[in-house]
This record gives sequence, structure tokens and C-alpha cells, in this order.
Amino acid sequence: MPIETIIGAWVATGLTLFIFSFLYRDNPLFKLAENLYVGISVGYTIVKTYDTVIVYLIWNPIVKNGEWALLIPVAIGMLMLTRYMPKAAWLSRYAFAFIVGVGSGLAIPRVISSYILKQIEDTVRPLLIMVPGEGLSFTWSLLSPASSLNTIIILVGVSSVLFYFFFSVEHTGLGKVVARTGILFLMVAFGAAFGYTVMARMSLLIGRFDDLIEFTDPSYGRPSLWLMGLTILILVMMAQRSSHKSEEE
Amino acid sequence: MTFAERMLKIDRRLIFLVIGLCTLLPLLYPVGLPIKISPEVRGVYDYMESLPEGSVFLLSLDFDPASKPELHPQSLSLLRHAFRKNLRVVAMTLWVSGTGMADQVVTQVAREMGKENGKDYVFLGWSPGGTAVIMNMGQDLYGAFPVDYSGKPTKGLPVLQGVTNLRDVNYAISLGAGNPGVEAWYVFGKDKYKFELGGGCTGVMAPGLYPLLRSGQINGLIGGLRGAAEYETLIGQKGKAIAGMDAQSSTHLAIIVLVILCNLFYFSVRRQVKHQGHSGL
Repeated sequence: MPIETIIGAWVATGLTLFIFSFLYRDNPLFKLAENLYVGISVGYTIVKTYDTVIVYLIWNPIVKNGEWALLIPVAIGMLMLTRYMPKAAWLSRYAFAFIVGVGSGLAIPRVISSYILKQIEDTVRPLLIMVPGEGLSFTWSLLSPASSLNTIIILVGVSSVLFYFFFSVEHTGLGKVVARTGILFLMVAFGAAFGYTVMARMSLLIGRFDDLIEFTDPSYGRPSLWLMGLTILILVMMAQRSSHKSEEE
Repeated sequence: MTFAERMLKIDRRLIFLVIGLCTLLPLLYPVGLPIKISPEVRGVYDYMESLPEGSVFLLSLDFDPASKPELHPQSLSLLRHAFRKNLRVVAMTLWVSGTGMADQVVTQVAREMGKENGKDYVFLGWSPGGTAVIMNMGQDLYGAFPVDYSGKPTKGLPVLQGVTNLRDVNYAISLGAGNPGVEAWYVFGKDKYKFELGGGCTGVMAPGLYPLLRSGQINGLIGGLRGAAEYETLIGQKGKAIAGMDAQSSTHLAIIVLVILCNLFYFSVRRQVKHQGHSGL
């Protein structure tokens, strides 16, 4: 096995166990891993951004291919940096204005089309569909997306939740019933979201355990076992040290 | 202090230990619980199956190592399926922090399936701009990615023959862990440039993407590790996702039991306090 793979396994195992050590209590091993994670993420992003943006998208096309028009976006981008010079900071407004203007112009029609029009179209589906040659057709199955039952549930859910967030009318009488129905739908949605969140978090734990199990293999030098022993030893020593300190005090 | 009160004040590290054991034991001793295929995952699989040989398949790996356990198995399965079908694979990422990992997964599967870089597949790498990159690709793919990840000019690559923009893509899938991800690909890609789109996402994101699935804005959705396990089952290649399903089920069972017990103890303590209040009066 290549030496870099073995070193990678030891580093990955060590950092995973150091992060897990937080479950016992906050400690320097956890802080070391946490700071390394932040530092390496930022460092990696800077290097990749420099390599892709400066070298491949700016320097090479301008210098090697003579694409001088690229100097215009470069100049607009450079205006952003004037924020660091108080006297010239006003220049950055032109760059921001450009970004906000272009960004809004591009995003607003697309977002309205995708999130509002298409979703409304799906919410107000007809209960009965005229199928050519067959006449009227409808289904009452929760499992079928085109079912009339689902259409009614979605319509009731959307309307009642919207009413729940409509504060200009007091929620009394029939309004209270509709608002309560809206709360029920919201609870179901929160429950589903939370269930999926639990599943996702457990998946992450499974992923780390998978790697830790793989790294118990002798071909890696059993880093999981050695480093787990080391981490536990350090945690025990720190716990003893802190108990001695509290006794002295 | 009653038993219920003691239980409610239990050291939470014991709960961590229980969850840890419920995850670890099934990984060490798998049972092989059956995996049922959901219609949303089948939607992606069926569309991939329907693509003729040589179709252009765009895979956007929009995640970073933090979401690796869920999305890495999905990307492995999709790439294996695409290469097995002899599709032309165009891979890329919108997340700068995931570039190295995306390159590693594409290269690994291509090597495993005996595919050649530039001819059968290309990894375009990352380009700055997020959603703007999608729009740029919709206009001119070579403008968004003048060179691939290894620095080779993309114009003239055999794998991209006949491809000028996103309209020439037969099927695109975004494996997203956030923004930009599946939604961005729909809003700024499919909605404007009219290509077929599927999605893969982390479990946290899945409930938010179901409205897009129902309305037909995406034609399938692979959600979390569970979705990856279903896809592995469909392509008949067991991987880490299937191996993790037993652990997932046992952990969920443990959490359900803990939630029920905590509620029982909570209501028991509340009833006791009420009772004491009444007798005090």
C-alpha cells in the first residue's frame, strides 16, 4: 500500500477520534482537530480559487490567448478591493451595483417561474381529468401522485397553512379551526424534516465508523486501535489532572 | 428522587454510548435487512436505463467532504451505472471545497470500468460563480469551462463532440448538499434550457425537494444514504450504502425507543408534580 494512503488513514483516524472526544467533554484534542479543519478548509479553498480563477480563467486566457476583453470583468472585480481603502471605498459600489443588478435580473424571473408559478400549477390540480376516449378519470390513492385524494390534502394543507400566517383576521370560530388545521400540517412537515435530519446525522456517523472499521486493518498499521487507545489515555490523564486541581483548590 | 426523575437527569454520554453501539454493532455484524425501492429512486434509474449508448450524461457533484458519507455512495453508483451503459459522462462540481474529492471519485470509477479520460468521460472541475456557471453553461459550455480539471482545453475533446451547451445534455443529475445544488440546477438550468434533470441530496435536504419531484420539475430523487442503498440495489452492486442500512435501521429504532421512554418519564414526572400540588392544597 502506498505510504501516502497509510499516512492519510492515520491522519483521518486521529482527527475523527479527536472530534469524537468532544462527546466526553471539551478538550484540547478536539480543539486541535477543530482548528485544523477550519484552517485546512480555508487554505484549500484559497489555493483552488487561485489556481482556477487567477491562473486558468484570467492569466492564461489573457497572456496566452490574448483575450483582452477579460480585463473588463477583472477591473470590476478589482473595484471590490477598494473597500479596504476608506478614501476609495465608494468605487466598490459600482461593482456591487453591477452584481446586484445582474444577479436580480437573472434570478427574479427564474425564481418566480420555478418556485411560484410551477408550484401553484401543481397545487391546484383538477380533481377530475378528462382523458380523450375514456371520459372523466379520477383516483383515490395516497400512493399515486396524481390522485384526487392527494390533490385535496395538498389544497387543504396549503390553504390552512397560509391562513395560519394571515394575521389580519382574528383566529376565532371557523378561523381557529382552519388555523389549527394549518398547525397540524406544519407539525407533520417539521416531523418529516426532523426525521430526515436524524437519518442524515446517523448516516454521517455510519460513514465515520465505516472508515474507522476499515482502518483497523493491519495493512494500514491498525491506526483505529492505536489512536483510540491513545485518545482514551489522554482523556483519562486530563480527567485525573483536573480532579487533582479541584482537590487542591 | 423517583426512577423517572433519575432517568430524565441521566448522563447524556450514556445515550451517546447507546447510539454508538447501535451503529457500530450492525456494521460489524450485518443482518442484511431487505431494501425496498422507492418510486423516486426508480425514477432516476429508469431514465438512466432508457438513455441510448453515447448519450451525454452530466453529473454535478455539488458537495464537499462533510457530506461524503451520504453523497459519495450515490455518486459511485450513478457513475458505475452510466459507464456500464456506455454513456458519455461529463462530471463537474459547483463546490470548490469538493473539487479534489469529485476528481477522485470520477477517476476511481472510470479506472474500475476501464474508461478513458477525454474519450469516455471528462471531469471539468470547478468554476467560480455558483448559479452563474449553470447559466454560462447554458449559453456556452466552453466559455464556462475552457479547460478541464487537468488543464486540457475542453474544445475538441471527443467526449464533448456535438455538445455546445446544456441543451445538448440528455440527462443531468446534481448531487447536492446545499446551495448551489439540485434547486439551482432546476431554476437556472432545466427551467431555461430544457434538459431532463434528476437529483440526489443529503437526508436533511430531501423533504425540501419533494415539491419539485411531485410537480415533475425533477424526474427522480435519491435521498441520503437510504437512497444510495436503493440505487446500489437497483444496479446490483453492493457498496457502503447497503452495508450501512442495518446500522441506520437499528439507530432509528434506538432513537424511537428513547423518544418514547423520555415522553413516558416526562409525563410521569408531570403527573407526580400535579398530584403533589393537589395534596399540598
